[in-house]
Amino acid sequence: MTDTVGTHDDEPAVQPFDLGDVPSAKSIRRFTAQAANARGGANIGDLLSSVYYAVISIAISVGLALGFAQAMRASLPPSPDVEAPLSLSLATLVVVIIVALAGALLSLAGRLGPVGAGGAEAAWWLGLPVDRRGLLRPAARRLPLLAGFVGAVLVALLDAGLLADPGLRVARVAATAALVAAGIVLVAAVGQSASVSRRSIALAGDVLLFLAPVAAVILARVGWSVDEVPGAPWWFVAALVPVVTLLAVVVDRRLGRMPARSLRESGSVATQAVGAVVSMDSRELGRALTDGAAAPVRRWVSRLRTARGPVSALITADVVVLRRSARHVVQLVVAALVPVLVSTVPQLASSVGVLLALLVAGSVAMSATGEGARRAEMAPILDRLLPIDAKTVRRLRMVVPAAAMALWSVVAFAAVGRWASDVPGWIALGLASTPVWAAAAVRASYRPAPDWGGALVSTPMGALPTGVATVLARGPDLVVLCLLPVWIAVLLRTVNATLLYTQVILSIIAVAVASSIRTRSLMETLMDAQEQERAGARR
Amino acid sequence: MSKPVIRAQDLLVGYGGAPVCAPVTFTLAPGKVVALVGANGSGKSTVLRAVIGLLEPSGGSLQVFGGPVDERDVGFRTKVASVLDDDAYFPALTVSEHLYLTARGHGVHGAQDVVAGLLAEFGLTDHAKSLPVALSSGQRRRLLLAAGFVRPRSLLVLDEPEQRLDRAMRDRLAARIVAEKQSGGAVLLATHDPDLLRAVADRAVHVADDVTRVLPTDQAADLIARENP
Repeated sequence: MTDTVGTHDDEPAVQPFDLGDVPSAKSIRRFTAQAANARGGANIGDLLSSVYYAVISIAISVGLALGFAQAMRASLPPSPDVEAPLSLSLATLVVVIIVALAGALLSLAGRLGPVGAGGAEAAWWLGLPVDRRGLLRPAARRLPLLAGFVGAVLVALLDAGLLADPGLRVARVAATAALVAAGIVLVAAVGQSASVSRRSIALAGDVLLFLAPVAAVILARVGWSVDEVPGAPWWFVAALVPVVTLLAVVVDRRLGRMPARSLRESGSVATQAVGAVVSMDSRELGRALTDGAAAPVRRWVSRLRTARGPVSALITADVVVLRRSARHVVQLVVAALVPVLVSTVPQLASSVGVLLALLVAGSVAMSATGEGARRAEMAPILDRLLPIDAKTVRRLRMVVPAAAMALWSVVAFAAVGRWASDVPGWIALGLASTPVWAAAAVRASYRPAPDWGGALVSTPMGALPTGVATVLARGPDLVVLCLLPVWIAVLLRTVNATLLYTQVILSIIAVAVASSIRTRSLMETLMDAQEQERAGARR
Repeated sequence: MSKPVIRAQDLLVGYGGAPVCAPVTFTLAPGKVVALVGANGSGKSTVLRAVIGLLEPSGGSLQVFGGPVDERDVGFRTKVASVLDDDAYFPALTVSEHLYLTARGHGVHGAQDVVAGLLAEFGLTDHAKSLPVALSSGQRRRLLLAAGFVRPRSLLVLDEPEQRLDRAMRDRLAARIVAEKQSGGAVLLATHDPDLLRAVADRAVHVADDVTRVLPTDQAADLIARENP
């Protein structure tokens, strides 16, 4: 027996082994990967096939997006000669969107780590006495590269689609966006290596995301706009390359100094988030991104003074959940400002543009308000402790979303009312539609897990798993159907009593639907009944 | 007297600055076993996580091998083996490959033979070629424990190693830990098992909200028996 590694004269060690050199981190990774490949039955043909399909899928997606951008470019009206009293140029809006995207990216990078070692890697790799840089390099490269690619595509689409800029300029803007996006993730990684908490990085991103639309509203108020997105010259793009490279080198050098606790936490969040994306479970994704950056301990303990009985306890719990999640509050505010901004940009302020803005922004805001219901669906502790029946619980869970969406409606529909020259009428319609948003939030929160065992329907875009689609449609279905009076009013650009009364009736129907505690859809129930009838007839 | 492997003085551990238990004071010398005992949620595992560098202490002082804890240091990782309740495995690696990876990762020569010996000792020989998904909860626990012994170490940290083990395996584990300390290794473990405590520990630290106390082994075992009737 010999011992050659890590002993001091006065530190007896239990090393009943012959010890030699520690292998390189690369060989550890290779050993793990080779075993996985061997067991997975993967060969070089499968790998090439997967790469081929990935490239083709990305190319088709980018092509579709470019086609959409071109169609949008062709359909946008020219900029008006006379400026409205409260207006924002399209280029200013694009700048605001780009800044908001940067904030969202920083927030996401902070929540995901951005460098992490999930489950098995954390348990079996991080304890080895090998250079951690070699173990973590692939994980450290993944997110900056992905951010660079997505950033380039998104900004190129905005530049080419909304602003109709020439190709060379689009290429330059896309290159700049790729470098800046990768740089943002790398800055977050530098912060992580310097033990800056993931919560702080995420909060910085959330603040940027919050400030972007607020600044845009202020700019619209003071009448300041830019005529075109400030384009960086090629020399600037070239200068960004060494800066980003330097950041990448700094991150690489510091990978070995990243504490295991940070890597474990980040890896755990990333694993949960990727799993949620693969299984198309947006609730799980939200939980991963929110919980990962949540403060472990509350500085102030809420006294919950408003909880004076089962009903108020349930509502108070939902209020506390929403109040404590900065991400959802930011999401709500940003979503309220989207219709305001769209209705102030002359080229976008068409009926279709405003309708899309209301639909998308309303859905985003609705999703933020349903956090209490989503958590209750996952862990219905309070629901089961309190002496309230399940249907009433569902109804009570709509109270906080309804209150939050009422605030959202006042801001968003006031903007639409200004656009349509009838602010009181539109605010009334907005408030009448509030229960639909709340009902949709609760219905989406309590939806069952996606059913991957359902029938596949062949479509030109590939197989559609109907079981998953049915589940994912729970919630959005109410938005589409029960807000028909709002959509019609936007398209007609007018509100009348008929639309208002119809909206009230549909809101009542939406609340009734969302109060249902049945987990199966009407179609599934009918099919089950049919199946039972057939079985009975056979007997 | 040899230098202590762990010296914790008024050590405070917790999350977000809020301590989970009263300050902890103890020392662990080479060739000794110290057991942390206490109720569920009392902070035993949190203390262990601080000792192996997975948690920054909130206060007090903690020295391992005469210096501050820094698990980023390769030397620290070489000397400290830990078995927590990490129920995570590479899905495509067999039981023996997990152990081989750990042994080879630490530069152990003849890793195959070492792994074969530990597989036999922990009753996993028949499952050497099984993937983790095919193992029972207890077998996965044995795999984790075997991984703690398949590598060189000066300090072994075990978090409730008796969990999910049957009586025979608990006895074998106790014998293994006794052998560990007789070879000069230091062991810090958290446990709820009074028999394991009596069999292996030299001293116990009762971790609690109000005050933590160093107790003789028998007294601590009686305390556990009372807390877990």
